[in-house]
Amino acid sequence: MPASFRKVLIANRGEIAVRIIRGCRERGLRTVAVYSECDRTSLHVRAADEAYPIGPNPPRESYLRIDTIIDVARRSGADAVHPGYGFLAENADFARACRDAGITFIGPTPEAIDRMGSKTSARAVAMDAGVPVVPGTKDPLGPGLSDADVARIADGIGYPILIKAVAGGGGKGMRTVTAPGELAGSLRAARSEALSAFGDPAVFIERRVMRPRHIEVQLLADHHGTVIPFVERECTIQRRHQKVVEESPSLAVSPETRRALAASAAAVAARVGYTNAGTIEFLLDENGEFYFLEMNTRLQVEHPITELVTLTDLVHWQLRIAAGERLTIDPEQALTPRGHAIECRIIAEDPDNNFMPSPGRLTYLRAPAGPGIRRDDTGAVAGTDVPVFYDSLMAKLSAWAEDRPTAIARMTRALDEYDIRGVRTTIPFFRWLMTDPDFRAGRFDTTFIDRALAERNGRPFCEVPEADERVALAAAAIHLLTQQATAPGVPPSGADSVSRWRLQARVQGLR
Amino acid sequence: MDLQLVLNGRTRTVSAEPVEGGHRVTIDGETMTVDAAAFEAWSWSLVFPGDGHATATVGLSPAGPTGDLHVHLAAGTVLVCPLARTRRFGRGDGDAAQAEGAQQVLAPMPGKVVKLLVKVGDEVTARQGLIVIEAMKMENELRSPKDGRVTDIAVGEGTSVEAGRLLVVVE
Repeated sequence: MPASFRKVLIANRGEIAVRIIRGCRERGLRTVAVYSECDRTSLHVRAADEAYPIGPNPPRESYLRIDTIIDVARRSGADAVHPGYGFLAENADFARACRDAGITFIGPTPEAIDRMGSKTSARAVAMDAGVPVVPGTKDPLGPGLSDADVARIADGIGYPILIKAVAGGGGKGMRTVTAPGELAGSLRAARSEALSAFGDPAVFIERRVMRPRHIEVQLLADHHGTVIPFVERECTIQRRHQKVVEESPSLAVSPETRRALAASAAAVAARVGYTNAGTIEFLLDENGEFYFLEMNTRLQVEHPITELVTLTDLVHWQLRIAAGERLTIDPEQALTPRGHAIECRIIAEDPDNNFMPSPGRLTYLRAPAGPGIRRDDTGAVAGTDVPVFYDSLMAKLSAWAEDRPTAIARMTRALDEYDIRGVRTTIPFFRWLMTDPDFRAGRFDTTFIDRALAERNGRPFCEVPEADERVALAAAAIHLLTQQATAPGVPPSGADSVSRWRLQARVQGLR
Repeated sequence: MDLQLVLNGRTRTVSAEPVEGGHRVTIDGETMTVDAAAFEAWSWSLVFPGDGHATATVGLSPAGPTGDLHVHLAAGTVLVCPLARTRRFGRGDGDAAQAEGAQQVLAPMPGKVVKLLVKVGDEVTARQGLIVIEAMKMENELRSPKDGRVTDIAVGEGTSVEAGRLLVVVE
């Protein structure tokens, strides 16, 4: 039975560690940060009350080391652990190790993580709960099945089908098959990819829902049997199966569908005796029918938009539920959207170079503020490097307003204010997206971004009109000539290049 | 004081002279007045009195060790590469050809070398085409910043180059 705790170890880094530490402080809990070598001066370390090193930079030598983290919990006297998202958040062994050490794991039970972590097992739970699932195989495909057997199964499900990794996520180990002739080859490829990405070649088959929307339902469940589902999140805008922009509520979800989704989500959670925060993902087809896809047994990246439109603090509730408190949220309030929120993930990737990661030294950063803007960022400052070892998420930028058009206008304004120099970011991509007519009209499915990118055919997002070119040249010229003439201020890193320039000018005898 | 600034594959001749109320900036012969005030070491607030007092906030950051600059505007970021610092010889002679020392011609943006127009040892004149780079589906001919001799060609036809890559040296 959960008991209250005083000190929380945050087994994570970056923006989510900062977010959790903030929630803990607001609840009067003491915080312990853990850090790899390159994270020593990160904001999450500075924001915590105590901080312990846990190893070299690679995650498997630091943030994924269950033994090290449990050891730090013991040494620091932490009686609770919050796993954040990613890393060990959905690792049942970690949850079990916490339990065995007498440490409260701020999340669901290891059993719930196990049951809902496997996609086929989760589908079975949903079916048992009476929730529609995408037609597909109940169990993973046995490795001993002949090609003819698999073909028969695929025929039964109906083409087009999707082969998916049982242990998977993020689009890896997935293959679409539109005709029976491709099946054997795609199956082999999917199995091999699943093995190398997740260490498990098991795959299963689902009908591929054409042009679906990806709708997810956040929920909280306490240890007293109460489950509260929230207003849905619209996560359809994806690039190669990775979420890029999220918003809440969804334009495609009517109040009736909202209630149906909420009821289904709650039924699945109740079926496994789920506790704490979790999210159920659904596919919504063109006819408004929805199907259970999977469950995420953790707090998600995009949780801020739910907090904004339902006036809830999910991290506070995670802490309170874990301490044994009862949920006192009004279920009607949880399903009534207030205004509209959009979130863009500001990532250090170059949208003009196929979204290749763009690590490097940040030379300048000014982040937006003002009405309706919420920012959850890593706290990176000019002069620091965006590390290569972890995901390159720099910040989540959320805009809230009374309605969707105003939220879009607010997001546009905030993106204009965002000034990041030294690394390439996804900001130009989002600025384009906010102007796209289909996005503005709410006309999109999961293929929208990939199609729009293909249509652009490599045309850069960073397109500067000719008139602006003159402004750039004027500023560059004045900057160079002024730098030469006056004593230097303190430029950010990159001072080397400036002094070499000045040196060259002196050598050439110019003034 | 004239600058040769390469932006989007084109070399522009830019000068900026302090005048009452700011700078008179000339770009390839066209003049405008700019009131430019630095509010941080690398950030400028510009006001254009001749254009309805329109504002522009421009940030700069180093784009590499060779003096190239990323110029950050509201609409996006562009790369500006100073080619050479040249002394102005008399009125109207915008592109002086007598810069001293070896001048490096660098790739202003990622692309591919399509054609070499000169070889090592060739005598060249200022603004003579040296190399053609294909980038963003356009061909850009990069020109010599001065009269001189080609002393080094660091790439070959078909080489893919990143922004800032050394292409040709003219001495």
